[in-house]
Amino acid sequence: MTREEIVASINRVFEESFEIEPERLVPEANIFLDLELDSLDTVDLVVAIQKRFGVSIRDDERVRAIRTLNDVYAFIENIQKEQGA
Amino acid sequence: MKRVVITGMGVVSPLGGNVAEQAAALEAGRHGIRRMPDWATYKGLRSLIAAPAELKNEKAIPRQNRRSMGRMSIFAAQAAMEALLDARCEAGTLGGGRVGCVAGSTTASAITLSNVYETMLPERDFSQLQTMQFFQCLSHTVAMNLAQYLGLQGVLLSTNAACASGLQAIGTAFDLIRSGRQDAVFCGGAEELHPTVTGSFDMLMAASTEYNDRPDEASRPFDAARDGLVCGEGAGILLLEERDRALRRGAPVYAEVVGFHTCSGGSHISESHREGIARCMAGALEDAGCAPSDVDYVSAHATATRQGDGEEAAAIGALLGGRVPVSSLKGHLGHTLGASGAIELIAALAGLRKGVLFPTRNLTRVAEECSGLRHVTALEPTAARCLMKNSFAFGGINASLVCRL
Repeated sequence: MTREEIVASINRVFEESFEIEPERLVPEANIFLDLELDSLDTVDLVVAIQKRFGVSIRDDERVRAIRTLNDVYAFIENIQKEQGA
Repeated sequence: MKRVVITGMGVVSPLGGNVAEQAAALEAGRHGIRRMPDWATYKGLRSLIAAPAELKNEKAIPRQNRRSMGRMSIFAAQAAMEALLDARCEAGTLGGGRVGCVAGSTTASAITLSNVYETMLPERDFSQLQTMQFFQCLSHTVAMNLAQYLGLQGVLLSTNAACASGLQAIGTAFDLIRSGRQDAVFCGGAEELHPTVTGSFDMLMAASTEYNDRPDEASRPFDAARDGLVCGEGAGILLLEERDRALRRGAPVYAEVVGFHTCSGGSHISESHREGIARCMAGALEDAGCAPSDVDYVSAHATATRQGDGEEAAAIGALLGGRVPVSSLKGHLGHTLGASGAIELIAALAGLRKGVLFPTRNLTRVAEECSGLRHVTALEPTAARCLMKNSFAFGGINASLVCRL
């Protein structure tokens, strides 16, 4: 997938699973402070991403470092390269 | 002991999304039974009809509250909001620990449970499951969701007792307030439809299977041609309140709850028995300080099962005689299970307030074993003021409530 496709797909997860308006999905948005996801939501975010991208990330340490949407995009880009998905 | 009144009511039912819509539908003789188009894909499911409610406007509930709600918890939240507004509760009066919540259902969200198992099995894979599914699968999911949605900090109890869940919730709320432990309690029950729910009754030979192509004739309480229950869904929530508090704040007072009893049949895991039912009804009358002759109307449980209706009819006849008007609303509503006690009590009270008794739908020929009662078979005017509501569940869980207008 291209970066643009990843961004669009991730954004759709936030819109559909968390009902966040598209205009709030800016790359610098902090998913906790700006998008107001809590710890339960982040578990479900991981599950939604796994389903959408066909990747396995639940036990990946790097998930814990994610703070912004940019971090999510970059993480998925890396995972895709690693898992060849 | 304090006196307890009903100051607010809300429903989502197969007959409408609020109390007034449901009452209008009952008055017009409408019913909510439908053929369920996808159910034929379930092997061995013989009962293919049900009474669905409409899920709408759910996004009015903020996502943060709604995410842990399965379908029936959304129904419950909507019904609770109607009750809250109906009761003209003031903002900021629900916290502080004196306003509680008692609610229940037969099972946790049946749809979510089914989705969880379909996701997990056959690999036994947990990794695809969401946290919010967990909250929807908890047995106390209805009570929990109501309390967090309304910001309640009082007593929180979950009365999961199958078909008696709703009435047990109301009776428990009554006990909490009259004993002085709470000032007000949101109470009632909820349930959602799924083939597995109907399938459970179907396996036990308790569901209607002969009317799949004639759903409007299917649910026939007390009738000679009845062949079992039709599952329904929805929620009924009432606000019960200490009487002086209600009067002081100028709240509407719809009725007073004057007696409640719940007891075990103590005999069979699924069969009702007249002795246990009669004992429960008598206990409620004693609690209310009422004589059998004080009862003006019985809103029966009668689900249209061959066995249960006969036992309830015998018990009513033995205790109250053949004078008291009796009807069951399950011909219109189907059996809304955990919600039934609450939805039907609200419906019966709406009728009494309009000065009418709603009839038993599809009661065209009273079964022999259900005879001897004054069955209401058409809408009739009434001056009834004292109502008894019954709910009886598998396992011999019996519940009866007495209210006065």
